[in-house]
Amino acid sequence: MDTLGHILNGFNVALMPINLWYTFLGCFMGTIIGILPGIGPAAGIGLLIPITFGMDPTSALIMMAGIYYGAMYGGSTTSILINTPGEASSVMTALDGYQMAKNGRAGAALAVSAIGSFLAGTFGVVALTLLAVPLAAIALKFGPAEYFCLMLFALAAVSSLTGKSAAKGVVSTVLGLMVATIGIDLQSGQPRYTMGVPELQDGVGFLVVVVGMFAIGEVFSNLEEHIKGKAEIIRLSGKLWLTREEWRRSVMPIIRGGLIGFFKGVLPGAGATIATMLSYTVEKHVSKTPEKFGTGMIEGVAGPEAANNAATCGAMVPLLTLGIPGSGATAVLMGAFIMYGIQPGPLLFEKRPDLVWGLVDSMYIGNIMLLILNLPLIGLFVRILYIPTGILLSLILAISAIGVYSINGNTLELQMALMFGVVGYLFRKIDIPLAPMVLALVLGGIMEQSFRQAMTISGADPRVFVGSVICVTLLILTVVMVLLPVVLPRLRALKAGPEDLDS
Amino acid sequence: MMIDRIIGAAALLLAAVYLYATAQIPTLEIGDPLGPKAFPILLGIVLIAAAILLFSETLKADPVTVEKPPAESRRHLWLIGGVTAWTALYFGLFDRAGYLVATVVYLLAMTAVFNPGKWVANVLTTVLWAVGSYVLFVKILGVSLPAGLLSF
Repeated sequence: MDTLGHILNGFNVALMPINLWYTFLGCFMGTIIGILPGIGPAAGIGLLIPITFGMDPTSALIMMAGIYYGAMYGGSTTSILINTPGEASSVMTALDGYQMAKNGRAGAALAVSAIGSFLAGTFGVVALTLLAVPLAAIALKFGPAEYFCLMLFALAAVSSLTGKSAAKGVVSTVLGLMVATIGIDLQSGQPRYTMGVPELQDGVGFLVVVVGMFAIGEVFSNLEEHIKGKAEIIRLSGKLWLTREEWRRSVMPIIRGGLIGFFKGVLPGAGATIATMLSYTVEKHVSKTPEKFGTGMIEGVAGPEAANNAATCGAMVPLLTLGIPGSGATAVLMGAFIMYGIQPGPLLFEKRPDLVWGLVDSMYIGNIMLLILNLPLIGLFVRILYIPTGILLSLILAISAIGVYSINGNTLELQMALMFGVVGYLFRKIDIPLAPMVLALVLGGIMEQSFRQAMTISGADPRVFVGSVICVTLLILTVVMVLLPVVLPRLRALKAGPEDLDS
Repeated sequence: MMIDRIIGAAALLLAAVYLYATAQIPTLEIGDPLGPKAFPILLGIVLIAAAILLFSETLKADPVTVEKPPAESRRHLWLIGGVTAWTALYFGLFDRAGYLVATVVYLLAMTAVFNPGKWVANVLTTVLWAVGSYVLFVKILGVSLPAGLLSF
């Protein structure tokens, strides 16, 4: 019953006034970041990390997590009102949400996404609470070889699932791992790839890459969109509530979306975006009138919105219990953990139960706060959309400068962030996914260390990586992941099914 | 699919440079049996494999890809190039000019280009933003930002 005590004690931590304040602040900023076009959760967390320097790590992480799941709530607003999804995980919401808004049901669309998000989000936290303890217990048995295989699997899954081409995903992953090798090698003390630049001896700063690729790169892409023309904002009209009929139609999609979202969130690589696609496809399949999807069906909003919020909770499971993030945004969150000197993983549950459970329990409270922020107060947040895009994007660049400069007070890092920004912009143009690179950057150091530790233990015998059932299983799964994008289209071509949405 | 071949070629080139740089790392006979080179060599090999995979993907893909109109994309290239250069200048003078001066100049030009014709709004936001963020970060949050020209 030790665990139950820890879980309950977590509420003591989460309910401390200071932590309630940071939960609120995180959810508030998360909602804004979700609403703002051109800045996603990964960039948002990266940009706001410097604000939390000097804060207690528990409070800081509570706030960071709030930004992460808060952004998922806010993301639906732009999808519904201006048909430009704030994040990839809100693309599905735009299909029917924007049509609902055009039909004068913007209020209902926003309401169902807030309620669906709340229900699925809360379900997700409960599932996270239940799943975390046994998973952390299993992970405690992992040695370096198992860890290496696990990371290999996570990276393979993310590379093959996040983009259109598995090869590009692998290129992105390897680039991230290569950047991670820059700096002084921890075991031999040998500098690697520093080209004599003293600033590179500590390696390329994590925030430099994140702010560059996600914030600056994203702004560049948006500037380009901006000069092409702009989207029309639909005025919020009608009551922010559902009719009895709409509510009846939304219940089952929310339940299904919540389940799909959570389990997709737990798996690396799948994440929120795929969960929303799957949920939308499922709703279309079970609907009696599938041809009406895309014309403003409330099921098409309720399901995906529930799915992406449950997925954020699911994504916290591998991050907290294994110390292995499965997506770009959770990778940035893990980077934040590491910056505070906290290594997420099974040991954290033993060493800092107050931190882990304070964080998890704060998510229950955060979900309630977000419901309030996103229902009665959504009218206020929507005003953010009236800020001229040209000004907004310029300001994000200025914030990026503060964020990067505040870490080390170094202008070379600013230029490096700009360089990564250009790289991020180009990657978006040529369809190379960014998430695998950031994930690889976060995991790179640990991955190399566990690789070398395993080899040291075995006396340089590579058979150590097939020496246990866990390793072999993970390696098989890794191979499956890599082959999946090659084999799947062929299977589908054989079937020639009508799954046009499942691309 | 031309672009994918270029990516593949760039990946091969990068792998070669990386492997060459790896070979230059001196090895000492201390520490773990693998040393600092083994993992990077593995990475180089995986990158080469990924490039080959990419080439094989381009062979399979159907060639009916419509190229974008070059005039428009060239204009965008200029735009992004210009913003990059202007931002590089901003970052370069961040220390010497100081946060306030550099940010005001940077934002005035950016908003003039991307939010054209709205002088009052642009100047107002720029100045309020620069001063407000400076006060927030330096005075309240204790983040250090360069004072530069205004340090007297």
